[in-house]
Amino acid sequence: MDKEKYAKIEQSITPTTPILKNVFRAFITGGTICLIAQFIAVFYMTFFNFTERTASNPTVATMIFISMLLTGFGLYKKIGQFGGAGGAVPITGFGNAVISAAIEHKTEGYVLGVGGNMFKLAGSVILFGVFSAFLVALVKTILVKLGVATW
Amino acid sequence: MIIIRHLLLFLSLVFLLAGCVPNEFRFENRANQNISQAEVLVKEDERIKGAAALFYDDHLIVGIRVKTFSRFNKTKIASELETSLKELYPELSVLVSADSKILTETTKLILTSKDEDVKEDIHELIALVEEQT
Repeated sequence: MDKEKYAKIEQSITPTTPILKNVFRAFITGGTICLIAQFIAVFYMTFFNFTERTASNPTVATMIFISMLLTGFGLYKKIGQFGGAGGAVPITGFGNAVISAAIEHKTEGYVLGVGGNMFKLAGSVILFGVFSAFLVALVKTILVKLGVATW
Repeated sequence: MIIIRHLLLFLSLVFLLAGCVPNEFRFENRANQNISQAEVLVKEDERIKGAAALFYDDHLIVGIRVKTFSRFNKTKIASELETSLKELYPELSVLVSADSKILTETTKLILTSKDEDVKEDIHELIALVEEQT
């Protein structure tokens, strides 16, 4: 079988990706997660001494905590299966990546298993997150120094 | 299952309708100041869609809500307004913030008629805005 024939058969068998459907599901899932986070932020602003700016920290922590619980109970994978990137991109996806890796390697022991592999997936998120934050801060500092933007 | 679906539909409708809160301009004078100038200044700014301003003693505290696409510049808008208000009322200590916490708290202060703790609350709000964390 030559390459072209193989490619033709492969294309005819492979199911087409429902891009629009996936995008819509991701939009709904990601949007719902952000809506819940907004409620939590408003809760912190209403009942505690947090401003719009400072409320983001406890909100992020709470969202990660909720996603960790949902991962532990096996519910977050259902959200991920339905929403795809909509479940992975928000900060809840980070909590899910940490806990799922910890659960997966629990049998290898708490130190070398859980401890050593917990940040297997999330490690890259932290690395590239910190690096991109550094780049953004650098660009913003330059823009502020030039007088184009304000802090 | 049908009940849950109906409940979800109802809740999403409630959530959507919750966005239809009217944007109001509230001005309260408890300091014997001429507030009409401030009123005109805030209402004429097209980027601002809601505000709560409280003149109390030697303080003027203003919480503003800016239009959606002006939110990128909300700090700048607030500082511009603060500068203009400081020029209008040089004898007052002026605080303008586009943070929704300040807007809700100022509205609360205006709506509650208790006069004793207002100064303390205003100082707390100033401390919140100035917090660096």
